[in-house]
Amino acid sequence: MSGGGRLLPRLAAGRRKAAAVARITIRQQLAYRADFALRCSFLLLILFVFVQLWTAAYEGDREAVIGGFTIKQIVWYLVFTEALTMAGSPLAAKVEEEVKNGDIAVRLLRPMSYVGYHYSSYLAEAAVRFVLHLAVGSLIAWPSVGAPDFGFGWLGLFSLSFGAITVAFLLNAAIALCAFWVEETSGLQFVLQKLQFTIGGMLLPVDLMPEWLQRVCAWLPFQASLYLPAKAAVHPDGSSLLASAAIQAAWIAALGALVAYQYRRGARKLHVNGG
Amino acid sequence: MSTEDKTFAGADASRDAGKRSPFAKGIGVVRFLLTTWKVNLAAAMEYRLSFLLLAGMMFVNNLIWLFFWSLFFGRFPVVHGWELGDVMMLWAVGAGGFGWANVLFGNFHRVAQIVSSGQLDVYLSQPKPVLLNALASRMSVTAAGDFLFGVVIYAWAGEHTLAGLGKFAMGLAISGLLFMGVMLIAGCCAFFLGNSEGIAQQAFNSFVSLTTYPADIFRGMARIALFSIVPAGFISYLPIGLLRNLEPGFVLGAAGMAAGTCLAGAWLFRAGLRRYASGNAVSMRG
Repeated sequence: MSGGGRLLPRLAAGRRKAAAVARITIRQQLAYRADFALRCSFLLLILFVFVQLWTAAYEGDREAVIGGFTIKQIVWYLVFTEALTMAGSPLAAKVEEEVKNGDIAVRLLRPMSYVGYHYSSYLAEAAVRFVLHLAVGSLIAWPSVGAPDFGFGWLGLFSLSFGAITVAFLLNAAIALCAFWVEETSGLQFVLQKLQFTIGGMLLPVDLMPEWLQRVCAWLPFQASLYLPAKAAVHPDGSSLLASAAIQAAWIAALGALVAYQYRRGARKLHVNGG
Repeated sequence: MSTEDKTFAGADASRDAGKRSPFAKGIGVVRFLLTTWKVNLAAAMEYRLSFLLLAGMMFVNNLIWLFFWSLFFGRFPVVHGWELGDVMMLWAVGAGGFGWANVLFGNFHRVAQIVSSGQLDVYLSQPKPVLLNALASRMSVTAAGDFLFGVVIYAWAGEHTLAGLGKFAMGLAISGLLFMGVMLIAGCCAFFLGNSEGIAQQAFNSFVSLTTYPADIFRGMARIALFSIVPAGFISYLPIGLLRNLEPGFVLGAAGMAAGTCLAGAWLFRAGLRRYASGNAVSMRG
């Protein structure tokens, strides 16, 4: 009874700490406007190239349906996957740096979970960037292929985006925590990024891939972070939405357990000299 | 030889350089570059495993992009006349050209950073051509993977004749020089605009991205821009205009643009040096 009595105040305190970290992160994001402008200009360029590529592939035919997608759906799908991809911050580089220069000692002293701190920060940063990237991406997609009149698709996109960002965080955290054992995590991070680009469905909807690859993708976590929310947006469907949410929840549970295990093992063997 | 000896020898060489014939000067520059590359390679080989991992990583990166293109062309076999083989050769000349340029002149996309941070002082104090010295003093380890990737893809999908090999080598030369010229021009903005690292980095990312997509997907103003102010089209059209059809007009234009951007970059660097104020940064190069 007394344990349960302490649990609620602890949860409330944890929530307040997470909210404070999120607020600080958002302020930081809004302060670096030049960085934001440069990132957005790159997003505009990439989306412009994609519009050209897919218009060429569809031979300019706006009515053609290939693999269940019209050109309009493909272009908006790419806006959503790019907005989500570019929303994430370089978590592995941050953790690696903290382990290498000893800053992790300061983080561990704080009355907040180390992974929880990074999650709050990642989520806040990704939320701000995602919304801004959507607005910027619309500048290219809207004039090129028309308004995003996806109706309930927007509900699907936003409801699955939280899970998508969480899955992306956990995948990155699993790589980042390897810094407790190996000196360089950039190689692993790099492989993860490319897997998300391809079999995660960032560049090409999974539906357009060969049958055998679609079956492989269905068993991997990458589609939960990009393909599922973007597909839900351009192909609104209530039952698929529930199935997608269930897939995300299962991957969040599995990856969350992996990250917790990694952190427990890693923190035990961590040695920080000086500080 | 002590450091002092090296300095005096360098100073003598510098004084003598004024009296030497252009041919002797050229030989001197070549010997200097060969020595620099040898030292860079030796430094990279100190961390052999890291070298192999990083180069291998870049190879895998390019391979994954080709995997994407194989999926794309699996669904759309011909796009504006381009087939999977053409895109493979686009990546071969693009990555290969970028690779050799970045291995031999690894600072070509870091000029803005060098100027902004005052690191140019080191090169100014040495009795060697400043631009060449600055560019060649770094070897990109990952770029070795890019170059190897280019060669492997040529062996896989290229034209295996003497003419085919010659055209591929020419494509590598044009693409490498264009990467260097464009990035040198972007980097020299730091002399005139102050800290422009972010802009130069953005120009680098954008230019590299544009060179990896078939030139023929672009139409209208975008296509004009691709063959003028952002000359990425001279790389991304190489598989068609040089390797497949050998269009003399395009090849001359591409070679001219490659040489022109390098010369313009060198001229801008020279002009920028006159405005350069030391960063008062005390630094050493090993």
